[in-house]
Amino acid sequence: MTALDLWSHEIRGAGRAALLAPPAFVLATLLLAAFGARLGSRAGTTAWMLLWAVETGIPLIAGLAAASVIGRDRATELQLSLPARYRSTVLRRLAVIAGWAALCALALSSLLIVTGWWDVFAALPAFPLGTAAVPAGQLTWLAPAVWLTALGLLAAAVFRSTVAATTTVAVVWVFEQVLSGPLRESAAPRLLYLSATARGAAPGAWLPNRLGLICTALPLLGAAWALLGNTERILGGERG
Amino acid sequence: MRIQISGLSKTYKGGVHALAGLDLDVPTGMYGLLGSNGAGKTTLMRILAGILKPTSGTVRVGGHDITTPDGRLAVQRTLGYLPQDLGVYPDLTARRFLDYIALLKGLDSRPTRRRRIGELLEVVALTEHADRRLKGFSGGMLRRVGVAQALLADPRLLVVDEPTTGLDPEERIRLRTLLSQLAGDRTVLLSTHIVDDVAQTSRSVAVLAKGRLVFQGKVGELTALAGRRVWNVTTSGPPPASGRIVSALPDGAGTRYRVVAPEPPAPHAQPAEPTLEDGYLALMEELPLKRGQSRESIA
Amino acid sequence: MIAALCYEFRMQVRRPVLWVVYGLTLAALIATFGESYTMLDLGRGGGHDPKAAMVTSATITMTLLPIVYGCMLADRLVRDRRLGVAAILDATPSGRTGRLIGKYLGTCAATATPFAVAYFGRAVVWVIMEGRPAALGWSALMFLLGIVPGLLFLGALSVAGPLLMPPLLFRVLFAGYWVWGNLIPATMMPTLSHTVFAADSDYVPYGLLRLRMPDGMSTTGPWPGASLNLLRPVATPSVALLWIGLMVALAAAVLSLARLHTALTES
Repeated sequence: MTALDLWSHEIRGAGRAALLAPPAFVLATLLLAAFGARLGSRAGTTAWMLLWAVETGIPLIAGLAAASVIGRDRATELQLSLPARYRSTVLRRLAVIAGWAALCALALSSLLIVTGWWDVFAALPAFPLGTAAVPAGQLTWLAPAVWLTALGLLAAAVFRSTVAATTTVAVVWVFEQVLSGPLRESAAPRLLYLSATARGAAPGAWLPNRLGLICTALPLLGAAWALLGNTERILGGERG
Repeated sequence: MRIQISGLSKTYKGGVHALAGLDLDVPTGMYGLLGSNGAGKTTLMRILAGILKPTSGTVRVGGHDITTPDGRLAVQRTLGYLPQDLGVYPDLTARRFLDYIALLKGLDSRPTRRRRIGELLEVVALTEHADRRLKGFSGGMLRRVGVAQALLADPRLLVVDEPTTGLDPEERIRLRTLLSQLAGDRTVLLSTHIVDDVAQTSRSVAVLAKGRLVFQGKVGELTALAGRRVWNVTTSGPPPASGRIVSALPDGAGTRYRVVAPEPPAPHAQPAEPTLEDGYLALMEELPLKRGQSRESIA
Repeated sequence: MIAALCYEFRMQVRRPVLWVVYGLTLAALIATFGESYTMLDLGRGGGHDPKAAMVTSATITMTLLPIVYGCMLADRLVRDRRLGVAAILDATPSGRTGRLIGKYLGTCAATATPFAVAYFGRAVVWVIMEGRPAALGWSALMFLLGIVPGLLFLGALSVAGPLLMPPLLFRVLFAGYWVWGNLIPATMMPTLSHTVFAADSDYVPYGLLRLRMPDGMSTTGPWPGASLNLLRPVATPSVALLWIGLMVALAAAVLSLARLHTALTES
């Protein structure tokens, strides 16, 4: 019961923007796809746009929300004086934000599977997965979401400033979108390539890329965890 | 709950010495901590609240060594802390905010939390505003929410940092009366730069200046430091050149100055009864002379 | 207005995170572009030509740094409210419109300072290596005519946007807008990219500064197979001036919207 009460407070405290952004994004994506189809856009183009939205949109929202988790906390000093560890509180908040974004992404991708769009993805020339790989296909959004969330939390812990942390996440995201070619073709950066599904990957490189993203997210989270233990550092941040 | 501080130093990154070899003994009851801005009061409060780690020295609170992780946790379980800059979650109601903090303080039973929050809202006179969002609260109401959250776990030690800053006179009186009532068998450490708050609430007081303890004793003893040093000077000319001016009141054609000075600041100066504020100023005036002396010799 | 401008400039330019985030982004940019950045040649020719080199430098710089510029600006007005500064400023005799313009210009100038340092710093290095000081003139011209109008529009968007929606949502949309509206190929999907409405545009170098593009590499003018080609006229001096005018007009329109919003929420 206590845990339930605590989680219910964290959900309320997550903020309207973090809670509304993922479903709003899902809705906007579906409306845009419907609008494009009505205008006569080719099925392949619409399918690609949906895939790109699933793979990059929700992870961006999760990453930016994670980057705001420390800077937007107005009661940091009070939190640090409580017997409950602050980093546990931060991780709980992160779980709320990322969990909700993941649920929305799962709902969108399930909708795409049910409505047959996933089969259209599979027919796209760059698509690295077959239709048989639907369960593994969930890594399409899961891996970049985990990685950007971890990056967002680390940036928040390093900068202790929402604006700097969210800018870092946004820059990395744009960087990945703009420089997809060089990233895809280089050996090491290929593992950190966020758009390997929509932008395509070399044969056999997709799964290592997805697992690489999840594995590299772990040290990012570990570093953030270590920094969050330094209360003096957390307290000294630039508010907002 | 007794606080024993010995040789406490805190140096921030960048070499700023906030506290330098502080020794202080705080007994049960209301205890005032005075000092100008930047004296090190907030750093001391944060160390006592387990937020900052000291650079050196020992701090024992109720027998727990706060410099160890276990000791810090034990103190935080029995501590109520009202920070100078109390941030709240503006979208939560007062009741929900208190419930959230109560959970983080380890009050697991929902009925107990409800009862306790109800009682505390009554104590801080916020029952009728309990279900309003905090973003609509005035500064005084927020401070009272802050006091309520500090009392949630029925703490033996209450650390309040500059609680009356920015409040209107009515709210100030209400808050310091509340703190005095709470003292009882608790230790309430009231840090402030408003001398009157200490004068109206505490029997004992310590004064910090530039990270050092420059006075520890009874309020009357601090007041006595200004004995035979407070003067009223009424003049239509320029203000007295020597001593520290405490106040200036228009008086007929001239101005009546209250001055703290070792010697009469003007030929027609009249001696006056000292207050705690005079004693504090007299101490601050003396500091450059006494910087090299030990705490005991000053107090 | 001047006081607000100076105050905002000082407040923003001395934020360490501003310089740190720009620095990290520039380092990532240099590491990724590698030889293209060191030679200032994106395969369009002219790495040793001062005009072409400065245009290439601007193209590379404009890829990522505007996202830092926009995101770092996105908390200025809401921050004033949160810190309670807005109430103090409201009590001053300065007009609110003048203050908004001063705040906008001051904070944009400060946030663009590391951008300018990166761009002109590269120009100075090029001049030292190539021994052709004319590049400094071209870089100044390119910065003033080809970069500043876009930054003025992006600045207005970033200052005003978070007034109308939560900052988090604004940042999501801004990052999406930057990729969709400025960077992607025009054929990828219906987009404002490469149109006269894109803040990152080649109209000034190829229209006004008359830089010649190798055949088949044009980024201005209609794209075969792309929609919205109506908004992609061929680069000429008048089209370049039209782009500058559009950027300034869009900035003014967004700021007017922000002023209107402030007036409505205060009434």
